[in-house]
Amino acid sequence: MATHAFKINRYNPDDERRGHYMQEYPLDVQKGWTILDCLNEIKWKQDGSLTFRRSCRSGICGSCAMTVNGVNMLACETQALTLKSSTIVVEPLRGYPVIKDLVVDLEPLVESLYAVKPYLITKTPLPTDQERFQSPEERAKIDGLYECILCGACTSSCPSFWADKKYIGPHGFLKAYRFVADSRDEGTREHLEALDDKHGLWRCHTIFNCVEACPKDLNPTKAISELKKELVREKIG
Amino acid sequence: MKYREHVRSGGAILWFFQRVTGIYLAVVLFLHVWILHYALKEELGFAAVKDRIATPMWKTIDISFLVIALFHGLYGLWIVLDDYIHKGWLRVFIFGAIAVIALIFVTLGILTILPFNPGGY
Ligand code: FES
Repeated sequence: MATHAFKINRYNPDDERRGHYMQEYPLDVQKGWTILDCLNEIKWKQDGSLTFRRSCRSGICGSCAMTVNGVNMLACETQALTLKSSTIVVEPLRGYPVIKDLVVDLEPLVESLYAVKPYLITKTPLPTDQERFQSPEERAKIDGLYECILCGACTSSCPSFWADKKYIGPHGFLKAYRFVADSRDEGTREHLEALDDKHGLWRCHTIFNCVEACPKDLNPTKAISELKKELVREKIG
Repeated sequence: MKYREHVRSGGAILWFFQRVTGIYLAVVLFLHVWILHYALKEELGFAAVKDRIATPMWKTIDISFLVIALFHGLYGLWIVLDDYIHKGWLRVFIFGAIAVIALIFVTLGILTILPFNPGGY
């Protein structure tokens, strides 16, 4: 008798008629196995057609974000036994089009990321003999912001995103604020430009799902509040 | 490359105003409950409130209460609906309906509050 039952969302684009369905795989889960280990075990030993994304298997690349027992998480960072459930339901991230099984199309995530200009914008030329300096205090301001690995767990858990697929989403806001808060960045206006938009900041209703979903324990809602204040200050001085 | 078209929202001022009116409503609601249900010596009824609501200060407070509560509530309703209604004509219709409701209640309220004169009773 296997210790666990994995119920995994299956979808094959070549078999549209069948659509999405859940397939169950029994598995003897060993202590220390992550969800990713379990999926690998199933793929290697039971069903080679099972498809999912993974790359670094150490919580860096963000490829393996998925919905496990209803919660968004990184498969490679979650040990199966910590879920304390003998049935483990694995689904693709919600809100994104599914390409196959657990693989979603993250194009909307990338597109809204580009909209906030997710890079350092500077106006003053770089001194020839030194770097752009930042004091330890200034550097500390981007703690909790720069760690984002863009896995998409936050935005896929956000009801505002479910309702509006063009919504920039918490990942975009967090990234925007990462640069707005950076003392070396001189492009605040450029980063904010896309946020004061029909699909931007004002669609956030402080639901906090993104905070719960973030596998890196970041706080996109706080970043969003800071950005809202920034825009209001800009408007009314 | 241009990835998405930019649609100006003007949401900043309205978002801020929604916060300010929220605070105002919390204060006035507290005052309202306290004055009517705790501070009042006599039994709550028309006789107990008619003199107070006839004063210009209370007329001003009541009208601001009316306008701000309607704005805050109905704009809040629109914010919720705004997420889910994407069809152009339906948006216009619902936004229009909300505006009409607001106008009717503001008019009715002001017609009740402004000319109120306890001398007539
Ligand atoms: S495989 Fe890279 S974050 Fe999980």
